[in-house]
Amino acid sequence: MRRDRARWLQDPRQYAIVIVLLLAVLAAVIGVPDFNTKENLGNVVTQSAALGVLAIGQTFVILCGLIDLSVGQLLGLIVVLSCDLASGRPEWFVAAMALALGLGAACGAVTGLLNNWLRVHPLILTFGLLSVLQGTIFLYTDRSVGQAPPQFAWLANARLGGLPAAALVLLLITATAHLVLTRTAIGRHVYAVGGNEEHARRAGINTPGVKLFVFVMSGLGAGLAAVLVAGRLGTGFPNAGTGYELDAIVAVVLGGTSLAGGTGNVIGTVAAAFVLGLINNSLNLLQISSFVQILVKGLIVIGAILLNQPAGDRQ
Amino acid sequence: MISALQINRLTMAAVVERNAIWIVLLVLLLAGTALSDAFLRPVYLGNVVRQLAPVGIAAVGVTLVMVLGGIDLSVGAVISLAAVICAVQMDGKTGNIPWALGTTLLAGAVVGLANGLLIAFSRASPFILTLGSSLAVYGLTQIYSGGTARGVIAPEFREFFNYRIGGIVPVLALAFLLVALAGALALRHSRHGRSLYLIGSNPRAARITGLPITRITLVTYSLSGLLAGFGGIALLARSGVSGTFSGRGLEFDVLAAVVLGGTTFEGGVGGVGGTVAGMLVLFVAFNMVNMAGLNYNAQLIIKGTIIIASSAAYGYLKRRE
Repeated sequence: MRRDRARWLQDPRQYAIVIVLLLAVLAAVIGVPDFNTKENLGNVVTQSAALGVLAIGQTFVILCGLIDLSVGQLLGLIVVLSCDLASGRPEWFVAAMALALGLGAACGAVTGLLNNWLRVHPLILTFGLLSVLQGTIFLYTDRSVGQAPPQFAWLANARLGGLPAAALVLLLITATAHLVLTRTAIGRHVYAVGGNEEHARRAGINTPGVKLFVFVMSGLGAGLAAVLVAGRLGTGFPNAGTGYELDAIVAVVLGGTSLAGGTGNVIGTVAAAFVLGLINNSLNLLQISSFVQILVKGLIVIGAILLNQPAGDRQ
Repeated sequence: MISALQINRLTMAAVVERNAIWIVLLVLLLAGTALSDAFLRPVYLGNVVRQLAPVGIAAVGVTLVMVLGGIDLSVGAVISLAAVICAVQMDGKTGNIPWALGTTLLAGAVVGLANGLLIAFSRASPFILTLGSSLAVYGLTQIYSGGTARGVIAPEFREFFNYRIGGIVPVLALAFLLVALAGALALRHSRHGRSLYLIGSNPRAARITGLPITRITLVTYSLSGLLAGFGGIALLARSGVSGTFSGRGLEFDVLAAVVLGGTTFEGGVGGVGGTVAGMLVLFVAFNMVNMAGLNYNAQLIIKGTIIIASSAAYGYLKRRE
């Protein structure tokens, strides 16, 4: 245990993002007007929570040496379908919740099975699925439909004694995911498969099973994130998830998880999701045009990917 | 002992497999004639090629990048940027056309070069890097255009590209075919083109042989950007109006056509001929989908399925060899 902690401290990529987060908060408090109000801080947390949940699912996939580009559109599909199902009726909350998590897990399972059977590179596979899911959403509807059940809105927006309910959801999911990854057999197998799949297979690990598991977790993450997004939007907006997949991947790699798989953790991912949310919020408060924001977002993606190179593998 | 006959049969099988996409195209066209006898008419085929020219020109560049073992998903964004730059610089005046075309192609090449620099001097995934650069390029496009469709094209520009030579072959279609021919010849017969195959199939060996990998990477990505820029010009000529998101989603068409044509994500195999056939299959299929009354969203589902299924099929063939 003690050695674990020492190793954790030796690899700065594992905790650098927490320091970045603290510095970013400090900079925003000093430099951005109206940032340090209770109302705005709550907004930052609420807006970052959905991305955090989505990125936790993506962390499982990337730790395993895979990637899932389909989560953004999956999130959008679930937002549309659950809002259309519930149509704002509180008694349909359980059904809408079951739909969100069930559809998320089912789509994740399909991705995992296709990944195991077709042996197509996961980037290509999930990029194709992104297109299929987007087409499915817009075949279903090209405008906002339905209304989120009030419980979704409560989860996304309510404050419990000043603390956003979404923050509690995120805290719960983060703790669970962290425990699963560090304290259970399947969690350790995720690291093993991501570190070296062939070694893991020879050690008797059911590698297709592990890969199926991480895609199901990614789908579940998309389902739960969709609940928070639907609660915030209030309605089934078909473009709700567009672009979310890149944000999620950026959060994971900024959080210190290697795209090559095998190293990383969910705590860094969540810290990075907050950094991204904070940047977004600050750009809005500083009244930077949305055009410049798109540019900045692209540069952040590029920067994050460049920072995430395998150590010692540089030319 | 393998007899000459068996070798013959093996290579025959390989030839059939490598050209399977042309057989698919033929079958599709024959199926089309069953629906309507327009499908084999020269005017129809000329029209299909005219429709696919903007995406097709960009796909030639992406084919080169993918043979190299990379990928360029920023082409949709570059097409949008190019269409806007070209329209704004032309400003409705015939005299501005050469200047407008020049700056547009240059802008495309610069984006490609930037992608190439990022990829050549890092070990980062080109897939995600170019997704990121496409966001950045969309941002630049919006800033440049102020978010609205700016710029006016000169009437002559549109007339020239849409003129039908002999009443059948549109200039746009001819431009695509010439770009494809140049790409195919360069890939097969130039030193640069052939080294793409070596780098794509075995980068380590390529490095040991002393190939200038960095320079080749930079040139190839710049070419991809340049051709995407030309694709944007072609799109502007076809549609006549510049929108800030006119190229959005076209990277899916490009990727679907390239992988249909047998150029794989892993690199080292494929070629421009396959991409041309892949493009034709894709667009003939879209036409049939349209005739069946399904809309753009159904096309998205078809494109995604094609990307996955053809990657799986070519992967299966490769493993069996």
